[in-house]
Amino acid sequence: MKTLNTLMILIVLCFSCIRLASANDLIPGKTQQNPIALINANIYTVSGQVIKNGTLLFDKGVISSINNAKTGFPENTEIIDVKGHNVYPGLIAPYSQIGLVEIGAVRATVDYNEAGSYNPNAKAAVAYNPDSEVTPTIRSNGITTALVAPKGGIISGQSSILQLDGWNSEDATIKDIAGLHINWPRMTVSNSPRAKDSPEKQLEKIAENLNKLEDFFLDAKTYANAQKADPGLKRDIRFDAIIPVLSGDVPLIIQADEYKEIEAAVNFCNTLDMKMILLGGRDAWKLTDLLVENNISVILYQTHALPFREDEDYDLPFKTPALLKEAGVKFCITKISSDMWDIRNLPFFAGTAAAHGLSKEDALKSITLWPAEILGIDKNYGSLDKGKSATLVVSKGDILDMQSSIIEMMFIDGRKVDLDDKHKRLYKKYEARYEN
Amino acid sequence: MIKLLSLFFILTVFGFSQTTPQEGLSTNPVNIIYYQNARVIPSAASKQIFNSLIIRDKRIESIGNNLTVPKDARVIDLSGSTVYPGFIEPYIRFGLDEPKHEKRDPGPNPTIDRFGEIYWNAAVNAQRAAQDEFKYDKKLADELRALGFTTVQSSGLDGIFQGNAAVISLRDDVPNTLIVRENSAQFLSFSKGSSVQDYPSSLMGSIALIRQVFYDAQWYGKAWQAFNKNINQIRPEKNSALEALQPVIGKKQKVVFSAGSYLDVARAYEIASEFGLNAIYKSNGDSYKRLSDIKGMNAPLIVPVDFPDVPFVTMADFDADVNLEDLKDWDSAPENPARLNAAGITFAFTTDGLDKKENFLKNIRLAVKRGLDKDAALRALTEIPAELTGISDVCGTIAKGKLANLVIADKDIFDDDAEIRSVVVEGEIFEINKPQQTDVRGDWELSVLIPGNKLPLKMSVEGTKSKPSAKIKNNIAGIEAITFQISENKINFSLKGDSLNYAGILRFSGRIADDAASGHVILPDGQLIAWDALRKNTYTEKEEKEKEKPEITPALFTTVYPDKAYGRASLPGLPEYVAVTNATIWTAGNAGILENADILIHKGKIEKVGKNLSIPESSIKIDGTGLHVTPGIIDEHSHIAISRGVNEGTQAITAEVRIGDVLNPENINIYRQLSGGVTMSQLLHGSANPIGGQAQVIKLRWGQNAEGLKYKNAPPSIKFALGENVKQSNWGDNYDKRYPQTRMGVREIMWDGFQRAKEYGIEWQKYNDLSSSEKARKIPPRRDLELDALLEIINSERFIHCHSYVQSEILMLMRLAEEFGFKVGTFTHILEGYKVAKEMAEHGAMASTFADWWDYKFEVYEAIPYNTVLMAEQGVVTSVNSDDAEMARRLNHEAAKAIKYGGMSKEEAIKLVTINPAKQLKVDQYTGSLEAGKEADFVIWNEDPLSVYASPLQTWIEGRKYFDREEDKELRKQIAAQRAALIQKALNEPNSNGKKKKGSGKPGPKEMDDYHCDDVFDFMGREIN
Repeated sequence: MKTLNTLMILIVLCFSCIRLASANDLIPGKTQQNPIALINANIYTVSGQVIKNGTLLFDKGVISSINNAKTGFPENTEIIDVKGHNVYPGLIAPYSQIGLVEIGAVRATVDYNEAGSYNPNAKAAVAYNPDSEVTPTIRSNGITTALVAPKGGIISGQSSILQLDGWNSEDATIKDIAGLHINWPRMTVSNSPRAKDSPEKQLEKIAENLNKLEDFFLDAKTYANAQKADPGLKRDIRFDAIIPVLSGDVPLIIQADEYKEIEAAVNFCNTLDMKMILLGGRDAWKLTDLLVENNISVILYQTHALPFREDEDYDLPFKTPALLKEAGVKFCITKISSDMWDIRNLPFFAGTAAAHGLSKEDALKSITLWPAEILGIDKNYGSLDKGKSATLVVSKGDILDMQSSIIEMMFIDGRKVDLDDKHKRLYKKYEARYEN
Repeated sequence: MIKLLSLFFILTVFGFSQTTPQEGLSTNPVNIIYYQNARVIPSAASKQIFNSLIIRDKRIESIGNNLTVPKDARVIDLSGSTVYPGFIEPYIRFGLDEPKHEKRDPGPNPTIDRFGEIYWNAAVNAQRAAQDEFKYDKKLADELRALGFTTVQSSGLDGIFQGNAAVISLRDDVPNTLIVRENSAQFLSFSKGSSVQDYPSSLMGSIALIRQVFYDAQWYGKAWQAFNKNINQIRPEKNSALEALQPVIGKKQKVVFSAGSYLDVARAYEIASEFGLNAIYKSNGDSYKRLSDIKGMNAPLIVPVDFPDVPFVTMADFDADVNLEDLKDWDSAPENPARLNAAGITFAFTTDGLDKKENFLKNIRLAVKRGLDKDAALRALTEIPAELTGISDVCGTIAKGKLANLVIADKDIFDDDAEIRSVVVEGEIFEINKPQQTDVRGDWELSVLIPGNKLPLKMSVEGTKSKPSAKIKNNIAGIEAITFQISENKINFSLKGDSLNYAGILRFSGRIADDAASGHVILPDGQLIAWDALRKNTYTEKEEKEKEKPEITPALFTTVYPDKAYGRASLPGLPEYVAVTNATIWTAGNAGILENADILIHKGKIEKVGKNLSIPESSIKIDGTGLHVTPGIIDEHSHIAISRGVNEGTQAITAEVRIGDVLNPENINIYRQLSGGVTMSQLLHGSANPIGGQAQVIKLRWGQNAEGLKYKNAPPSIKFALGENVKQSNWGDNYDKRYPQTRMGVREIMWDGFQRAKEYGIEWQKYNDLSSSEKARKIPPRRDLELDALLEIINSERFIHCHSYVQSEILMLMRLAEEFGFKVGTFTHILEGYKVAKEMAEHGAMASTFADWWDYKFEVYEAIPYNTVLMAEQGVVTSVNSDDAEMARRLNHEAAKAIKYGGMSKEEAIKLVTINPAKQLKVDQYTGSLEAGKEADFVIWNEDPLSVYASPLQTWIEGRKYFDREEDKELRKQIAAQRAALIQKALNEPNSNGKKKKGSGKPGPKEMDDYHCDDVFDFMGREIN
């Protein structure tokens, strides 16, 4: 009983600490009041050439011009000399659980995995916490924009695309429904002595899981047709969530890594004529012809990974981006991990790809323009072009290399973002301790 | 007929023993046998073959050529047969219960109910004895006799100390008369079997337990001796297991170590050597992978023949799921016995591991086809197991006075179609395959004597003598014989009646006498009518078409080390001189970073670093223009290359377990980390308990064996852990009982442990100060492996690497250490080290941290990436570690984050993964920097090593090149080519369709052992967390 009480107290303590700690007190940037000109900048437009010693002018959250002008700015223009540092489009994390979890090991703070295997109706944005203490640390490395997705089960739910400096999920939303997420059922068979079932049994279960998924979508299709014919029919909240996928308005973002799984997922989407984005795609380099033929883009799981199989090249995950590029598959880079905080290393995931065969230009695209295109937000985001959103960052040096990737300024839709974070505050605090 | 015969023996013999009262009438069969016209092979070594043999009173009376027939003997003619000594199975559970796997309670199961004077751990049952428990298993005996076995060594095969085995004759009788040897050997394994007690949960825990039990047994013997001399002391405990082990530690009794892989055999050998045991090792058939190691042990093996199934390669989709290691193993394993024999290793065969025991002889024949000498095969079935089970005096060869245990085969037993006719066990004959004597084959004319309707039928019988088949015709057409059976001269067959104008089936039975046959047929309507037949032509053997058998070919590729992708054929060479010239050299020493400089290596040591060095002519020269050279990366916190469990987290203190006992030199991550420039790693126990196991520092000498990985210059170290893991915060609701559950308790249990160790040290000191005559009368202290390790810490002979996060616990451990008079060596992870860096510097503790990890649990919610810089600035020797098999390949990039977070200089940043971890492992006088006199552990990079664009071109350890990007490209081609060739070979095997699958033949990727320190995994298959 005593231990139980202690445990309860601990839980309560933990809970209260987290509630106190988890709300960051940084104030979201104010709407842009007057034009801003960044001068003396190396402007990595991504869509075009790097403009050395250039000027980027933006007003009302939109880029007005990119050139070498040093004068002739509109009245009230705030001129910021970036002293030869680099300007990049804000980095885009194309898959994350930002704002859906505060501390992975503390269950009370985990909001991305709903009960059951089929949750097409669950929406990430509903649970999004804009005041997470983690988010500012991610911004501090240049990430302005993120797809926030539920995970777990077979159909995990719907993701949203958000900018990372908002008061709440509503004003932070860029795209309400980015995609419907499916974890493709595992199709490999384990012969480990630790495996619960025999290989034969496993093969049966694989077929069963796949049939169930397909049946679910077929039932949803029947439901969609019936609803069209008779809107008075009883509603099914889960099937409702499938309708925009069947109509092609919302893509399926299917997580599949293994060769057989990717192949089956593509076939599944083709059968029902649905738009697919492949998430994960560890073996995608083996199926590039299939992906190109079906115009399927890849949100690549990560470069910082071990090869999955013993016989594979030690650098296979490092060079997979280069292999996809060479084969003409459109992709962007992310990290699928239980450690949500780690997405702040996104530029270095791309840097690793650049060290292993991908050009530096393409490495940069793989975390800016390409994710924007794949996720359908490239009209406003992903590159620095006149008319696009002034969502950008200033880095002291090469943003892909940790030695010089020091983010000095960030603007999201022209709003200046406070780049302070919990880590910097604690750093200052303890620097002060040792100064005394 | 066969069944009838054996039933007769059961009736006559079963239940007979001297003390059993006679029930009903007594039976007295005559068991004096004279075998004549045989081909008797007395032993594999014998050059002589004899033709007669006399058995009397269970024993061989005489063997020789044309012996005189005793008047009282039954004469059996064995024309054409070969007689071998009875086979002996040295490793089987015979007549003993299968272990019962009971469900364990959720949550901790630290103790067991004690009954009798048993050992505290349920996996230790040395006191059990097969002869006390065994119940004759007639069914298994039949199965084994059919394979030629006459004798078995039986053990319960459950748990770690499995108890005493017994050697048993496979003669159907009561146990009292069947034991050939009691207590023939103590059986041991690394698996706790049916024990539901938590400890041990890992392989290293099993090894520690085995060692502790042997030390306890030694102590037990001495303690009782001393007590018997002087009873005015506290009486030592009684312990039946330790009592049973006295003959084992006294080398009077053998140990059979049920090891498994060659790695496990080597591990068992280490233990046997430590305690001077007389050991035999049960292997799993992969010994060929490290033949020289096995040879070096100079100890006998028990070898299975459960060769791997054909890999599952027919479905293209599963192509990637089979790896080169499995393909090679399938291709090579049948050569294991041949290679063992060629290496001069003594071994006996076992049926253990076979799904179907009936494949035993078939697989031995395969081993013979794959190069095993037939004599060696016979020895491994007879003489050697006789010797290993201690029954050479009565079994193993056919010799006068020995037990009459024989195998009688129709030809050379190693021929493909050889059949065992009978086995003789202690003079009793068990028929196995009685041959068909009557040859029914030929062309017959058959008439059915129906009045007025003679039915002529022509029947031609073909096939083999024992399995003939019939074709029957009448005048009109062929008639299908539905069944056709013979048993000696009795015949039974049935026909469809349609073409004979009968609606239904006609059933014939009859007997054959020479060329005539007669009997009755039952017509469809039930009428019984006589038939007779005459043989018109006798059968002439047709030239049997050679069945297309797959060609037996030797293994396609030679064994490499380890025998898998990227394995090495031999160690990389050690050149006299190696020089890298005109490179940027990051010395990680006082010289800092040298541009356009040279480094000269001589016989594995750094001779000089500097500009414009004079390079000897003979030197291997590497042009370093545009390249960078750094010391080899050192990872303070790694869990690679560990077999079966990184945590023995089942008790709060497990200082007795040693990572060094369970190194896995086959782990591919060794090679992968070489590709990231890592040359040295400290392999740590996990963080599941406050005081974990002893660590092992290795150099990544890929291709070496476990011993070859160990870095001998590193002083002993040990893992400690604090915080959430050790108080089981994230283990689920069932784990809220084990002490400690709070950070308060963590301190108390550590204090208690150290205090116990201190007192233990004093106790030993006092004992050691006694004179030898005093010692003889004084019960000695008991050696305790856990306290040994803790005492070494107090004495600053073993150094702590403590998993830690928050500031309170960091302060706690330093103060605790100060109380006991030692220093904490290194705090590892130490994510709040920045908060108490000053105190750490004052204490002298070092710090090994993650560059930027945080947020994955509550205790790391205040972790910051500036930690590294803040600690370093306060004078704490700081390093960056991986705790992750993947990240270890990019530790240079993790070090570079100290530049991003806090502005560390490049000179200092490279030290985070080189000289600083070397200092933490206390090996900095040998390695960690590029300075004259140190071991030549270095990496050649294509770019500034702290840049994200950098990757290693070459990695050298002690002057040997262990990784080369160019060589790796060649290896990739080689792997692809070998895979392709082996897959094609497998596709040509009849069983490659995956129908009959087990082991490596099943589809699916292989499990890898990648550990983090949070992994609490019970290798016996149960997950604790």
